[in-house]
Amino acid sequence: MTTEIHTLVGAYVLDAVDDLERASFERHLRECDSCRAEADELRETTARLAHDTWSVPPPSMRENVMAAIAETRQLPPAGPAAPAPTVRGSSRRWRVIAAAAAVVAAVGTGSAVWVVQDQRVQDQRAIAEAARAEEARVRAILAAPDVVLNEQNVMNGGRVTVATSRLHNAGVVMLAASAAPAGRVYQLWTIRPGGAPVSASVLHEGQEADVLVLDGLPGATDVGLTIEPPAGSRTPTLPMVADVKLV
Amino acid sequence: MAERGINRRPEHLAAVPDSGAPPPADAGDLLRAVARGDEKAFGKLYDLVAPRVYGLIRRVLRDPAQAEEVAQEVLVEVWRSAARFDPERGSATSWVFTIAHRRAVDRVRSEQAATERTIRAGAASVDTPYDAVADEVSGRLERQQVRRCLDDLTELQREAVTLAYYQGHSYPRVAELLGTPLPTVKTRMRDGLIRLRDCMGTGVSA
Repeated sequence: MTTEIHTLVGAYVLDAVDDLERASFERHLRECDSCRAEADELRETTARLAHDTWSVPPPSMRENVMAAIAETRQLPPAGPAAPAPTVRGSSRRWRVIAAAAAVVAAVGTGSAVWVVQDQRVQDQRAIAEAARAEEARVRAILAAPDVVLNEQNVMNGGRVTVATSRLHNAGVVMLAASAAPAGRVYQLWTIRPGGAPVSASVLHEGQEADVLVLDGLPGATDVGLTIEPPAGSRTPTLPMVADVKLV
Repeated sequence: MAERGINRRPEHLAAVPDSGAPPPADAGDLLRAVARGDEKAFGKLYDLVAPRVYGLIRRVLRDPAQAEEVAQEVLVEVWRSAARFDPERGSATSWVFTIAHRRAVDRVRSEQAATERTIRAGAASVDTPYDAVADEVSGRLERQQVRRCLDDLTELQREAVTLAYYQGHSYPRVAELLGTPLPTVKTRMRDGLIRLRDCMGTGVSA
């Protein structure tokens, strides 16, 4: 398995893989020091290819960037500073976050592909355990015989994939997006017939990936993604940057 | 792990040096200052990397207006996440170009998915104009090195690497374009990069 996935190292550093492959490769890297060393070296090599791409940008670009950074808050160093995700007690909805665990199967082929979150793993055992329980659920839903996959690209890069199973009366929402604009966060919504959009998850700042299990999802018509102020909004700020149609 | 470190030369500021000017800045030092919120250091880092960030994105996107927009996002992202740069894992410039490349690829793929737009043929749109004023000896040497090392690859290695890097194609697409089986393309990308690494001297230092 290790050697098999590691053949992707070249494609990985060239950004020639898709989101699922990237996530599974990054999981592989976390488990293999020498593989990570090779990936770092090849990444360094790859970046040198940019030396051959000089092009003088328009002068206005510098002014725009300097003006933008003056108003852009910087992220703290990675690690403990990242806000700890809250695990809510609701049995209807678990958030699988920090434990870097989660998901999935290329459904139908039986080959499991792991989607791994980029969030740094915090030493919160409770979350890890919730995530393990959740992971089993995620796998069960994805392996359900009646699972239906829908996906939609995110307007500013990345993808939302939704797997629903009527047998489980639940669904899994997987988000792997590009960074939200500075000072903004992603928020996921479910939309049901005749109802207002209901918030399913507010990501924290800098978070670009999430995996959620949502009970009752097969009754919904859409899973939407919006860009919101840091605490999220009560109603979606339009336009939705992704709208996954479930029916 | 403790022995790991990427072997690299100092990365010098590419601006035209005045005589008696302060010593050229190193991208790593600048990025560390940027992480502390130093806007002046960011300005210097901008001057050092922006032509390559913009050039790279432009090469992948083939559209100057979009390239400018994406390059701005990338440079603001560099400011925003400067504190997340980990020198253990590579050089500062490589970190910046990695962000730039990823963003360009995301953009080009979402565009392709959305509109399946036709790639404008013709070398003219691919050429990146180079302003002689900004030319600088070390920059030129680096470009020559990149070209020389690319020339050293086998045809298939070179095609596999450049179609992915400069045009943002996924490896299945590269396989399709080259009429080559997927496993072969994966292998050529990897061994092509290993050969480039050895040629450029970007290996681990002992």
